[in-house]
Amino acid sequence: MSETASQAVPRIEAYYAPTSLEEAVEQIAAGDVAIVAGGTDLMVTANGALRRIKRGLMNIRHVPGLDGIAETGGRIRIGALATMTDILESDLLRAKAPILPATADRFASVQIRNAASVGGNIANASPAADMVIPLLCLDAEVELASWKDGAVSTRTLPITDYFTGPGKSKREAGELITAVEFDAQGAGGHAAFFKTGPRPALEIAIVSMGFMARIDGGTLSDIRIAFGAVAPTPIRAPETEKLLDGQTLDDDLIARALESADTEIKPIDDVRGTAWYRRRLARVYLEEELRNVLEG
Amino acid sequence: MSKVIEKDILVGTRVPKMDAPDKATGRTRYVNDMVLPRMLVAKILRTDRVHAKILRIDTSKARALPGVHAVITADDTPQFGIGVLKDNPPLKKDKVRCIRDEIAAVAAETEDICDEALALIEVEYEDLPPVFDCTEALAEGAPVIHEDRPDNIAMVNEFSSGDIARAEAESDHIVEGDYNVHYVTHCNMGVSCAVADVDYDGKVTLYSQTQYPFIMKMDIAPSLGVHPGDIRIIQPPVGGAFGSKLDVYPYEPICVFLAQKTRRPVKLIFSRSEEFIASPTRQPVEFKIRAGMKADGTLTFRDIDTLLNNGGYTSWGATTPYVTMRTCSSHYRVPDIKYRARAVYTNNPFAGSFRGYGNVQATWAIETHMDRMAEVAGLDPLEFRLKNANESGDVSPQGSKLNNIDLKGCLQIAADKSDFLKKWAEYKEGWNKPGRYKRGIGIAASLHNAGGAKIHKSDGCGTILKMDDYARVTVITGASDIGQGIDTVIAQLVAEELGIPVRDVTLVMNDSATGPWDVGVHASRTTYIAGNSAKRAALKAKEQILRGAAKQSNLTWEQLDLRGGHVVQADNGEAIIPLDRLLRQMHFAGQDAELVMVTDYYEPPSEPEDENHVGDMSAAYSHAAQVTEVTVDTFTGEVKIDQIWWVQDVGKVINLTTLEGQVEGGIAMGLGYGLSENLKIENGIVKNPFFRDYHVFTAPEMPPIDMTFIETLDEEGPAGAKGIAELPTIVPAPSIGNAVYNATGVRIYHPPLSPETVARALFDADAGKAMAAE
Amino acid sequence: MSLKVEIELTLNGATARASVPAHWSALTALRQTFDLAGAKLACGEGECGSCTVIVDGESVNSCLMPAVDLNGRTVRTVEGLWTDDGVDPVQRAFIEKGAVQCGFCTPGMIMQARYLLDRNSDITDAEIRRGLEGNVCRCTGYTKIVDAVITAARAAA
Repeated sequence: MSETASQAVPRIEAYYAPTSLEEAVEQIAAGDVAIVAGGTDLMVTANGALRRIKRGLMNIRHVPGLDGIAETGGRIRIGALATMTDILESDLLRAKAPILPATADRFASVQIRNAASVGGNIANASPAADMVIPLLCLDAEVELASWKDGAVSTRTLPITDYFTGPGKSKREAGELITAVEFDAQGAGGHAAFFKTGPRPALEIAIVSMGFMARIDGGTLSDIRIAFGAVAPTPIRAPETEKLLDGQTLDDDLIARALESADTEIKPIDDVRGTAWYRRRLARVYLEEELRNVLEG
Repeated sequence: MSKVIEKDILVGTRVPKMDAPDKATGRTRYVNDMVLPRMLVAKILRTDRVHAKILRIDTSKARALPGVHAVITADDTPQFGIGVLKDNPPLKKDKVRCIRDEIAAVAAETEDICDEALALIEVEYEDLPPVFDCTEALAEGAPVIHEDRPDNIAMVNEFSSGDIARAEAESDHIVEGDYNVHYVTHCNMGVSCAVADVDYDGKVTLYSQTQYPFIMKMDIAPSLGVHPGDIRIIQPPVGGAFGSKLDVYPYEPICVFLAQKTRRPVKLIFSRSEEFIASPTRQPVEFKIRAGMKADGTLTFRDIDTLLNNGGYTSWGATTPYVTMRTCSSHYRVPDIKYRARAVYTNNPFAGSFRGYGNVQATWAIETHMDRMAEVAGLDPLEFRLKNANESGDVSPQGSKLNNIDLKGCLQIAADKSDFLKKWAEYKEGWNKPGRYKRGIGIAASLHNAGGAKIHKSDGCGTILKMDDYARVTVITGASDIGQGIDTVIAQLVAEELGIPVRDVTLVMNDSATGPWDVGVHASRTTYIAGNSAKRAALKAKEQILRGAAKQSNLTWEQLDLRGGHVVQADNGEAIIPLDRLLRQMHFAGQDAELVMVTDYYEPPSEPEDENHVGDMSAAYSHAAQVTEVTVDTFTGEVKIDQIWWVQDVGKVINLTTLEGQVEGGIAMGLGYGLSENLKIENGIVKNPFFRDYHVFTAPEMPPIDMTFIETLDEEGPAGAKGIAELPTIVPAPSIGNAVYNATGVRIYHPPLSPETVARALFDADAGKAMAAE
Repeated sequence: MSLKVEIELTLNGATARASVPAHWSALTALRQTFDLAGAKLACGEGECGSCTVIVDGESVNSCLMPAVDLNGRTVRTVEGLWTDDGVDPVQRAFIEKGAVQCGFCTPGMIMQARYLLDRNSDITDAEIRRGLEGNVCRCTGYTKIVDAVITAARAAA
């Protein structure tokens, strides 16, 4: 049997364009639908047509309440349909969670940013998903909706506990990502996003890093460090955060932080880079950022 | 008093490309966009093995699928090989030799049905031991790729001049080095595509992206079992070619087979990943160089041995030594030369021709080596090159008559404009200073054929030129346009001679049935050869017109000229008669009637190489030099190109806009070769068949380029022009490598200088230093 | 075969209706159903920008957009830039400044440039380059493309 010709030929037997969340999740519960929002991940590896497709195709763009970026009661909520361009251009995020627009600015190309949604970037569960990095730093929660007992049921999962492996997460088959939320408090401190590559954005990260902290005098607190593409999922570096928490940076502490981070990442060799290079980049980014902080 | 008309000078100006309006408004239909009535679409089933016996192919399920019109395998087609050594049958029968091998093909009503049919074809293999490395393939007992070549050697090219042993003995320094250059691929924006149509009489029309329509007829005919005279090649606009379409590749005969079988037009188109995997690459080469010099830096000899990974089949990649050899023997004055190239079969994909041909590889090796030799000689990189630079009148050991060249000018201007020597000395001081970012500057130059290349029995091009009653000109040229703008260059040359606007010239081209013969678009030859033919045709037409005008004037035809749509008196520009009126008078003249209709076939005064590879194979040669200034992030290994200074001997500028466009685009490709592009092939498998992991240069990465064109006014070239299109791809890579060395003190021998490669080299050098210190 | 879905959209200023297979991309529908072959299929993965069109004012890779999602949208393609007022200033600048060689990337490049200028007519060289990052050109080295976009911006100012 030939293995080259394993591409499934698409056959879509049903198309849904729900106009309410109820309608959407009820249909998802019925099973076997691929969800499309921006299309950028679903259609990738396509060649003029969808490939990895299920029996049904659901377009969730017309579901109200899945878009928008807003703050209520100290929480910032980003609808699953919000695009990278929405994030890049959001005055609210620029003021209160600048790590998000900083990341969106390094996300693929303009055309992709105009289409790719936050929900899609999370759903794809790539170890190198750019937008997951700042959300990890923000301790965001992923809101999931499903159909239970004849009604919409929602639950939230902390994004730090959401991913289980490349392409895998705790999202269940009947669940739709509806939003991400995080506390506005603490989101506005010092923040930076790093990503490899001579080209500004159109590159899948060899390593990416997000860093947030409150800096008081020379003392660091509320530190969040996240890395992409150095483990089977995007990760936080909790031991390194702990090491730095409440401390004042100096050369010795920086050196220990670099060693600590090096033990927290588990990079592999792949076509984009070796584990050696990934370790080196993670170290370079963290050192650069800590020195930036040290030197003010 | 009749009006006075000045001569309109078109050569040297900026004339917009004639095909740009259609391309910018979306009106142009490329091969990829073609639709013919009743057209079927086709796809190829490729193997997933690198070396295996084919035991069984079962297409019965695929044939039974509704909407499928034909399924073919080797059993349905003539088993005649294509390619340089005719070792590549379009569909494979007994065994597969590399990952791209064609097993079967399907023609169906839609692409979806093709995909479904391909999935239904069953193939049974017996894997054979593979070999991927040249040296391993040459070893005793290595797996044999082609049974009729048990030593796995596809081709050997050798050149020798002088006495290497004596030269070695007389040398004060000998510098050795290994330089391995990698796989890259064309990345034409328009993926490979063909449309075939066969009539009741068996005549074939092939809509092709080919760059060599006339010779292609001969090359493809045996594999089809069709007389070459019964094949018509039409070349609709293509989305780039860059040398990729100078051979027949299996998909084109396969497309014709399916059209023959179904008696309907068939279109075969690649996917992008198929394009990465199954179109030819640039030839990878392993160089071993020994070169000698006197104490004062005068070069004495070069002894160069190269291995070419030929992959499973032999296309033009195996013949790149023809050009590599010329650079090795003729770039700088080197009295004694020894050169050997062996192309070795392996189970890798195979290489074709690619802009710059073997010279991109050669220039990386030679110009990196030159930089190293300069250091040994204690000279700066500029002085060392100038000391050994060729000058007009030199005849190289291979017989290249380097007349009317200016290598020294190219080097000196590039160095002066960039303040090279001052920066070079300053940046070198930074090697042992702390700091994450280091700047560097590097120089490189090369030589390339600039007046065609006589690799076939003729290097000529034909032109048919006619004028109508409105003084509009139609030029039918054999030249092929692949986006470079030869239509516009020809229109400029013709319009200037005939004293008419460029817009009044219509080009008819890219069809073997209408066009007179031409070798093809390659070797930086088209402006030179096709331009000359068109210009000569225009001069013939002009003479006919002026003789017609002289009949009704008291002046001789030599005293007349064509300007501004009029016949004028040459010495004072006074208008005598509007050109269109004269043409009508000549046309409607009863028994004396004449139409202006001329032909020309231009054969350049070059000679083919003899059996010892000696011969003045091009009618002109030219040089270019590049200085590149970089910033190296020594932590991440990222190399940022800050600025490029480019100097090229172009003979004469014909169209400044299209010339700059060729240089800018060529440099972008050359920078990709040096820095980012890398088709990663592991155990015969292409690991990165996507743009996202292949890394062609994008807009934000392109540095500013300061361009200088030297006009040496070639005696033979049209208006003095030389061919220009390849040097910009050839020179950039070593200038980057030399700049990175100047920045860091670390020499990288094998491109590309990707961030990880540079980071690793710097890390290893630091580790080496630390060990040495202990 | 897949289900076919009825779509209705505003395409280059006019209402267009069609029935498209549910698995098609918007690019395939534009090219095959609406005979607008300006947008090109060059990678099919959103990595080269040759298929760029403007949908509801936003530039997108039409190869990544499901055809069914065209329903109710307003779409501009390169064919729609040549209007009663003549060719678009971006098109004119591409022609005059030598920004076109093989031309395969040109329609996508022009649509992305049009989008950038619609958003910011006072655009800088660096902003243009960043904005064109998702559009690959293998011929020009981008210099003349950037020059053309700046020229078009100035012509409109």
